[in-house]
Amino acid sequence: MKTQLELNVSGRGAMSGVLTMGSLDPAFSAATGIRGEPVVVDLRTVEFVEPAGLCGLAALLEFLCGRCEDVSLTLPGRDVPAYLERMNFFRIFGDRIGTNADVESLEERRRHNPGTLQELINFHTEEEIPGIIRRISEILENQGYRLRERVAICSTLSEVCANAAEHGISSFGAYAAVQAYHHIVSGSRRRGEEVLIAIADGGVGVRETLSRNPKYAEETATDNEALRHALEMGVSGTGELGRGGGLALVAGIAARSGGSLSLRSGAGRVTVYESRKNSRNVPQFPGTFVRVSLPRTPAEKDTKTDAP
Amino acid sequence: MISLTTVRMELAPEERAQATFEVAGGDFGGKLMVTRRTGRAVRAALEEALTDLPKGGTLYVDTRGVELMDYSFADEALGILASRVASGEYGERHLVLVEEDRDLLENVEASLMQRSLAMIRVDEVGAEPGIVGKVPEHLADTLQAIYDAGSITNTALAAKLGLNNTACNNRATRLAKLGLIHRKTETAAPGGRQYAYERIA
Repeated sequence: MKTQLELNVSGRGAMSGVLTMGSLDPAFSAATGIRGEPVVVDLRTVEFVEPAGLCGLAALLEFLCGRCEDVSLTLPGRDVPAYLERMNFFRIFGDRIGTNADVESLEERRRHNPGTLQELINFHTEEEIPGIIRRISEILENQGYRLRERVAICSTLSEVCANAAEHGISSFGAYAAVQAYHHIVSGSRRRGEEVLIAIADGGVGVRETLSRNPKYAEETATDNEALRHALEMGVSGTGELGRGGGLALVAGIAARSGGSLSLRSGAGRVTVYESRKNSRNVPQFPGTFVRVSLPRTPAEKDTKTDAP
Repeated sequence: MISLTTVRMELAPEERAQATFEVAGGDFGGKLMVTRRTGRAVRAALEEALTDLPKGGTLYVDTRGVELMDYSFADEALGILASRVASGEYGERHLVLVEEDRDLLENVEASLMQRSLAMIRVDEVGAEPGIVGKVPEHLADTLQAIYDAGSITNTALAAKLGLNNTACNNRATRLAKLGLIHRKTETAAPGGRQYAYERIA
């Protein structure tokens, strides 16, 4: 008898059928109770996977693989397995988890998706980051992204990956994925283009890291307070001068571009928008998770003759 | 250029050495400079170039070929280097950033601001200098006066700014400690010694 982990995939509205980080919440909650018995994650209600859902799923499976030997996925139809295959999902998990999908036939049909800027990638150290950045920068350049857009995407990815490599030390390291869309995915669907960046690690989390700095005792009473504080310029676990600037700056880039940065760790989640920051109590996430939305602005807005 | 054949060598502002380091030209990551690890490697190379200079020399750090510099890299390569220059770790050797006014400067500026430091910046070697980072308000006039003069004694600077010699000396010393000017001791007739200040770019 297998324990089945259910997801909470919205059936209505803009996020209907989308596997987001939030849709994995019930599975993460249930996963903490798993004690070695076979487990299956049911993805049959999923129609669409975004990078955040993909990285979250990777973190969930790593968490489960650490607790039991028999982990499997039940996948719907063709589109979701095909997307997972294109995102290198089965290359990373294929030999560790079971699935109802015919992975071999997917491999034969494999074709490149131009929106995929970074397939699901697993990394452990800071040393691997420059290579990741070189590759995505080349893809962005070939696809006609302007310098400013490439800088925003690459510096977001490099700073958040560096944080994951430094603070997220865990058996599986960290996962990242980047996808471009020809419509706005976050919030209500509307016209425009959007790049989504997601990074998840299985480390000790933001509150624990900041608590190492006795100076922040008062700011780390709850996960949400710690997350809000971590997004301030110059706040870091080590307290060394010059540290703790990367996250604050990339959150600023995302917010100014009309997008957002969402930071989730422990039982907290803080999302930074241009004019506000939202905090929310959420089910426990075993590590740190970052999702960044960068809408693409039309090229003509970038010209120097732009009226104020 | 000032001739070195004037009567008293010590009064002639000697030509100070200079060297240029092209950040994008090394084997560090070409146009994409990310992570503290890469920043440390670039800083080590910059430190070597800096200590190779004779005392009083200026190292021009040219980042114009770089497309992307994340905050972590900027802080590790330039922020920490600037703080070490300011703490006197490399003796009287100076740093100047060669970079145009563009987005990439934001991360350098953010790092220097965090560290309450500043750097001299030029669009190209020989161009008019500007500032990246933060110079305390009360030192801005002093810095400007020294750069306008090119080279000036403490007495002359004090007179120009309407300060007493001690106040003037304190301000200029602070600027020298921030690494923004070159300070040297001149023998003033008769028998006295006083500081003179020079622009570093």
